[in-house]
Amino acid sequence: MFTKELLAEVLAAALAGGGDFADIFIEEKMILGISCEDRKIERVHSGTDAGAGVRLVKDEGTFYAYTNDLTREGLLAAARAVGRAANGAEVRDLRELPRGIRLVISQPPGAVPTEKKVAIVLAAEKAARAVDGRVRQVIVSYGDVTQKVTIANSDGVYVEDERVRTRFAVHVVAADREVLQTGYEAVGGFAGFELFEQQAPEDVAVAAARRAVALLEAQPAPSGRMPVVLAGEAGGTMVHEACGHGLEADLVQKGLSVYAGKIGRQVAAKGVTVVDDATLPGRYGSYAFDDEGEPARRVVLIKDGFLQDYLYDRLTAGREGRSSNGHGRRESYQHKPIPRMGNTYIAPGKDDPEDIIKSVKRGLLVRKMGGGQVNTTNGDFVFEVAEGYLIEDGAVGPMVRGATLTGNGPEVLRRVEMVGKDLGFTIGTCGKDGQGVPVSDAQPTLLIPELVVGGTKAGNGLKNCRIRRL
Amino acid sequence: MKEDLLAVAETAVAEARRNGATLAEAYAVRRYEVTAEVRHGKVETLKTACDQGLGIRVFDRQRAGFAFTTNLAREAVLATVARALANAAQTAPDKYYALPEPEAYPVLELTDPEIKMTPVENKLALARRMEDAALAFDPRVKVIESSSYQDSEVEVAIVNTLGIAASYSSAACGLFVSLAAEEDGESQTGFALAYHRRYRELDPEAVGREAAARAVRMLGGKPCPSKRTTVILDPYVATGLLGVLAPALTGEAVQKGRSFFAGKEGQEVASPLVTIVDDGALAGGLASAPFDGEGVPAGRTVLVECGVLKGFVHNVYTARKGGTRSTGNGIRASFKSTPEVGMTNFYLVPGSKRREELIAEVEDGFYVTEVMGLHTANPVSGDFSVGAAGLWISNGELARPVRGVAIAGNLKDLLTHVDGVADDLRWFGSKGAPTVRIRDIAVSGR
Repeated sequence: MFTKELLAEVLAAALAGGGDFADIFIEEKMILGISCEDRKIERVHSGTDAGAGVRLVKDEGTFYAYTNDLTREGLLAAARAVGRAANGAEVRDLRELPRGIRLVISQPPGAVPTEKKVAIVLAAEKAARAVDGRVRQVIVSYGDVTQKVTIANSDGVYVEDERVRTRFAVHVVAADREVLQTGYEAVGGFAGFELFEQQAPEDVAVAAARRAVALLEAQPAPSGRMPVVLAGEAGGTMVHEACGHGLEADLVQKGLSVYAGKIGRQVAAKGVTVVDDATLPGRYGSYAFDDEGEPARRVVLIKDGFLQDYLYDRLTAGREGRSSNGHGRRESYQHKPIPRMGNTYIAPGKDDPEDIIKSVKRGLLVRKMGGGQVNTTNGDFVFEVAEGYLIEDGAVGPMVRGATLTGNGPEVLRRVEMVGKDLGFTIGTCGKDGQGVPVSDAQPTLLIPELVVGGTKAGNGLKNCRIRRL
Repeated sequence: MKEDLLAVAETAVAEARRNGATLAEAYAVRRYEVTAEVRHGKVETLKTACDQGLGIRVFDRQRAGFAFTTNLAREAVLATVARALANAAQTAPDKYYALPEPEAYPVLELTDPEIKMTPVENKLALARRMEDAALAFDPRVKVIESSSYQDSEVEVAIVNTLGIAASYSSAACGLFVSLAAEEDGESQTGFALAYHRRYRELDPEAVGREAAARAVRMLGGKPCPSKRTTVILDPYVATGLLGVLAPALTGEAVQKGRSFFAGKEGQEVASPLVTIVDDGALAGGLASAPFDGEGVPAGRTVLVECGVLKGFVHNVYTARKGGTRSTGNGIRASFKSTPEVGMTNFYLVPGSKRREELIAEVEDGFYVTEVMGLHTANPVSGDFSVGAAGLWISNGELARPVRGVAIAGNLKDLLTHVDGVADDLRWFGSKGAPTVRIRDIAVSGR
């Protein structure tokens, strides 16, 4: 659709007035979204968003323009808009990059009729309602995205790629008199309709409904400092928030990360290894090439407690005279690439998850995490507990609701006491600088000796809680 | 390729009608944007952009379908209409689907030629001045994460089969700065922002100084003891919490059993000091426009008046279902989405006390300037538990920085426990609130 000659001409136009580097990112994104609420299919939306972003880098400054006009004239106009600088690089011959990995889609969204997608949404809604009479509302949403990209730059990189992602989420509201509680469960992957071969839509719905119903009878969470066990199935919100963002090279270079200047130093407990691997087959944060045309690879960030590497895009890598490690991502053609995570996880260790729970006298077990947020400058984070239980004398006790965990990322990683041999993934859309990108994160069962649990019960945590349990 | 948006929308509606759609509507947008970001005096990012698109909604025998495209060429528009009709065939019929009829629109001043006329060099200079003011504020301000100027100009056109064919242009500009202050190996962040309808209203020095002050005053922060206490929310935090309340004040949430305000109209749901308003035609408001995303005139809706719940905001669909009129709150996130019920200029009406008075009356309490994880608050149950930072109040004065604590509770209780509203209303985009004091809140720290 876009010849190498045309792209070279556009890059040359961007560099006509000078600059160190130019690239173009052309995208055609086709989306389909289905949602069901109040027992009926409310929405079937589809659309095409096509556009191109042209970037010029000069003296580390980025000049960026985008347009929906994908004609030769439109692309050249965008290129000229950025091309107002001096002393320029030359455009090398564009050549295709060897593909490191191939992410296979067996049932592409375009080959599956909309009726079939509607049918699984309805099946999930029915399954959630069947769980309990107190289920008041069920919202099911399905979405697939097919993103075709063409990426070319003045160093001669030329990549054509297609990313396919499918996402399925169920949100359940359960009610008992005045008490309203919600349960949420989502699955997604770099996958087409085959996503549902591994994860039946009904199972996703039942899990969400059971959680909402169970929360109706849960007691308010205690508050105060206490040991916390993060179950593997809870997913990797903690590693994503508490550690991952601080390892993004742009924040490191701006002096806004607690991990700045610490390469080679111990930043986590022995036994803690943190990896970002965008090549994992089928994961929501996977890709073959990043949005600058760099092949994806596995990056070991922290190895057995020692800081090894950061996540780089081209610009941040160039500042340190090294190459990108394939983490330059963007939300769309409307955004410049910045260092981002893909699939981030703490590698599994040796401990049996059961033994980890048994080792705790009194504390909180987190089986499902919700969203979170981090201040990368000081490392403070907060995330919500979607499904939590008290641990009493090494056994899983009653469920609690309304808890959040507050802590400091680097401190938590240094204090991890046990690392389980399991690994559980969760998916999400990660927001940074106003750009959302699909990610997944995972961690094994972890024992953290002390975190601040913010609950609705006042006072000094467990003492108070024991009194109320009588 | 600058197609006339009204003409494109008319083409789409005519095509839908020709294909037998009972009702059809086309909504077209074109947006121009400039972002100028500097760091330590140098250009970090200079972005110029134009994007456009069209969203088509059809109702075919009471079934709704929607499709969008960024390609406004005739063939692409016709293909998008066909997709919208095909999508409609998959949805469940609903007798409440409707479109509005033409009405008179308020006349608002939404553009400022100075935004467009000002050369980009001057816009970069504003960002530099903001950065300089922040650095000059205190030597401990060491790192500027981003200092940026942004403006956008939007053209909107809407056409429907009931005779609406209207358009408007609107523009806004703003400044945003985020930075870090350092002392003894500790780093704390601060930020500030200000968006306006008029270029002249931008005050880069004030924004820079505010961000610097926010960062510097947090240096040396430590957790406080766990207790129930009085908290004072600064306007930024109060606005954030107000934003969490917004979905519960929509007709949609009520009809879907997702609002803890459902069935409480006419009842007291908050302290008498609380009045909450949404005003889509507010002079100078960033969300002001002559009409909403369905072509309904913008208007003012009092949601909570002196603590009593007065009503909810509606779009055409929820109004019809609830037996009332649309309040002009059919909001579109972009041409890529359908008009959902949402807020326009949404704010907590200021009180009469000064902020200093609210603080002076507190013997022992927590002045909250930052919350983390607000998006995790549950809008259905009202439960929330967020990370917080701010300043501890001792004997009526801001005494020392506090961080690493959590505040938790339920939004319903928060509203009834309000015991002070200051006169210092501030806007953060299209939402705003003054300083608010709330008694008896659980704070967990050490």
